Amino acid sequence: MLFKDIRDYQILFLACFLVLGIGTRDWTIHPEFIAVAIATCVITQLVLSSVSDKGLTSNIRSALITSLGLSLLLRTDDWRTMAIAGFAAIGSKFLFQIDHKHFFNPANFGIISALSLTHNAWVSPGQWGEDWWYVLIFLGTGGLILNRIGRWDTTAAFLSAYSFLEAMRNMWLGWTWDVFFHRLTSGSLILFALFMITDPRSIPDSRTGRMIWAVAIAFLTFILRNYFFLPTAVFWALFILAPFTMLIDTIWTSPRFTWLKERKAINPLLQVQITP
Amino acid sequence: MNKFFRLLVSLLLVVIVVFNFTPAAWAFCGFYVAKADTKLYNKASQVVIARSGDRTVLTMANDFQGKVKDFAVVVPVPTLIKKEQVKVAPPKIVERLDAFSAPRLVEYFDPDPCAPVYNFSKALPTVSLSRPGNRMDLKKDSSLGVTIEARFNVGEYDILILSAKESGGLETWLNRNGYKIPRRAKELLQPYIRSGMKFFVAKVNLDKFNESGEEFLRPLQISYQSVKFMLPIRLGMANAKTEQDLILYILSPKGQAEVTNYRTVKVPSNVNIPIFVKQEFGGFYKSMFEKTYIREDRKVAFLEYAWDMGSCDPCSAEPLNPEELEQAGVFWLNGNSNPPPISPRFRRPYPTSGVFITRLHVRYSRNKFPEDLMFQETSDRESFQGRYILQYPFTGELNCSAGREYQQSLFRRKEKEAQSLAQLTDWKIQDIRRRIK
Repeated sequence: MLFKDIRDYQILFLACFLVLGIGTRDWTIHPEFIAVAIATCVITQLVLSSVSDKGLTSNIRSALITSLGLSLLLRTDDWRTMAIAGFAAIGSKFLFQIDHKHFFNPANFGIISALSLTHNAWVSPGQWGEDWWYVLIFLGTGGLILNRIGRWDTTAAFLSAYSFLEAMRNMWLGWTWDVFFHRLTSGSLILFALFMITDPRSIPDSRTGRMIWAVAIAFLTFILRNYFFLPTAVFWALFILAPFTMLIDTIWTSPRFTWLKERKAINPLLQVQITP
Repeated sequence: MNKFFRLLVSLLLVVIVVFNFTPAAWAFCGFYVAKADTKLYNKASQVVIARSGDRTVLTMANDFQGKVKDFAVVVPVPTLIKKEQVKVAPPKIVERLDAFSAPRLVEYFDPDPCAPVYNFSKALPTVSLSRPGNRMDLKKDSSLGVTIEARFNVGEYDILILSAKESGGLETWLNRNGYKIPRRAKELLQPYIRSGMKFFVAKVNLDKFNESGEEFLRPLQISYQSVKFMLPIRLGMANAKTEQDLILYILSPKGQAEVTNYRTVKVPSNVNIPIFVKQEFGGFYKSMFEKTYIREDRKVAFLEYAWDMGSCDPCSAEPLNPEELEQAGVFWLNGNSNPPPISPRFRRPYPTSGVFITRLHVRYSRNKFPEDLMFQETSDRESFQGRYILQYPFTGELNCSAGREYQQSLFRRKEKEAQSLAQLTDWKIQDIRRRIK
C-alpha cells in the first residue's frame, strides 16, 4: 500500500526537494544523471539481494531514497561517476554489515566514494543558500518523518552540539552573532541533520548510543570545517564515525529498528496486510 | 506498488519537464559587439586568485582614487609573507582578464526568408595615512603585542608583515604609526588575530613611485601556501555605507570555482533583446544586474563567466597568452600547457589550456554578507557566459508567401524581446515599445 510505509513519504519529500532545487536554485544538474543514480541503485540492490543469503527481499524503497539523496547532494559532469557512487552506496550495505546491520549510510558512502575515487565529483555546500523558508520546509517534512521513526533525538543532539561549538568559537573569535546564524541556517547543514544522520537502519539502536554518536559527529564536523577547512566536513565526519555504530550497539543495546516494526507500531490495523 | 510506481513516474516527468524548460545552451556563435566590463561601476574592487592545490597567488588591483601618498592597505593573510612572495603585477593584466570575461552583446542577422533554403547545421580596506610624509617608527612594540615579522620594499610599495597578540594593541600600533583606520576596526581585527592570521600592510614609497614613472599604482601580488581558500571582506565593510562591488577572477587548473558559504547564481544569459540596446549595453547590464541582485535578496554571489582560457566564443578579447597568464599569477603551466593528469577513463572530450577562469561578481553589504567569502574549486568544466543577443530582421524586399509569414512573425518576436527586456531590467515596457518603433 502506498504511503503506509514511512519511506514513501521520504521518497516523496526528497523528490520534492529535487524539483524545488532544480526549479528555484540554479543547480548544475543533469536530468540523465538522476536516471543513472536511480537505475544503478535499484539494479545493484536487486542483484545483490538476489545473490546474498538474505534471499530476494528486494528493498526498492531504500534504493530509491539513496539515489534521490545522491542526486540532491553529489555533483559531477560524468554519468560514470554517478554510477560509481550509486553502486558503492548500495554495495556498502551488503559488504559492510555485521549481524545483518549495515553501518555506513549508503548515500554518504556513495558520496565519499565518488569524492575520493574519481576526479570529477564535488558537493556544493552553498547550493541551498540560507533562506528561512527552506529551513522551515526541511524542518516540517523532516520532523514528520522523524516523529514517526522516533529519531528526533539524533537530529537534536547533532544540531545542539554543533550550534554550541560554533557559538563558542564565534564568541572566542569575537565575531558578531549574525556570523553564527549565517553558518547555522545553511540549508545543506539542516538537510544533513534531518535526513542523513537519522537513517534508523544504520545508526545506533539505543537512544543513549545515538546521542553520543551524534555529538561525536558534530564535534568532528566542527574540527574538519574550522581547522582543516574542508567544505565537505559533515560527510567525512559521518563516514569516519559510522563504523563506531557497531561498538556503540554492543555497549548500549536496544532492539534493532525495522521498517516492518515501525509500520506495525504506527498502524496496528495494517498488520494483516503486511504479514507475508 | 503499482500506484507507487505511477507516482514515481509522474514525479520523474515533472523533473524532466523542469529540465527541458531551462534555457538551452545552443551553439555559440554570432558576432561580438560590446561588453559590460568593470568600468561600469564607480568603485569595483578587482581581485585575481590563481590557485592550485593549497598554493594561492592573490592579485589585488589598486583602485585607490585619492592622492598616491595617502594610500595604505591592511589585508589579513593566512601565513607569514616574505619578500620573495610579493610582486607588483603589470596593471594591464587585470584589465585583460576583465575584458576577456566581461558579459557580452552579440548580434545575428536574419537571412532572406525568400531565398532558397540551405541546411546548416570591495574586498580590501583602504586606509589613508593621517600624517602624510611622517616617517614610521618601526621598532617592535612589545607592550602592544605587535611584532613586525618582515619589512621590505617591492616596486613602489613599502610593506610590513605584522603579527599581533591582541586587537587593541594592533589598533593602537596602526594609529601611532600614522595609519588612519576605521573607528570600529578593533572588533574586526580580533577574529583575524585569534584565528592566527597575519597582516599585510602596504603603503606607497613616493620616491620609488616617482622613479618608476608609472601613472597609477600597480596591482600587488602575494603568493602563499595555505589550505584556507578565502577572501576577507569584513574589514573592507568597516566604514562602507553602501554596498560594494567586487569582481573576482579565480584561475584554476581544474574547473569552476564556487562560493561555499553563500549561493553562487548564474546571471541571466542567452536572452534576445531589442536591437536599440546596442547603444546602451552598459546601462542595460547595470540595470539587469541590479534587478537580479534585488530578486536574489542581495545575498548571493553571481557567476558572470566560466570558461577554459584556451578559447572563447564569441571573444570579447583575445585569450591571454602564457606570459600574461603567468603575470596573472598562474604558476602551474611550466612552459607546457598540459593540464594536470586526469585518469584516462575520465578524459575530456575537448582540449584544455590548463587554466579555467571563473568570474564572480559579488555585491556585498554589511547586513547581507556577515561572513568572509569561502571558496572551493570543483571539477565542473561547463562553460558559461553572460551573453545577450541582438537579432536583426531581414530588410530586403519580401515578395513570397514565406516573406509575409516572416513579417508577421517579426511582430511577435519584437514584442517578445520587449517583454524580456522589461522583465530583466527596471525599464518600462511602454518606453521599450516606443523605442522599438
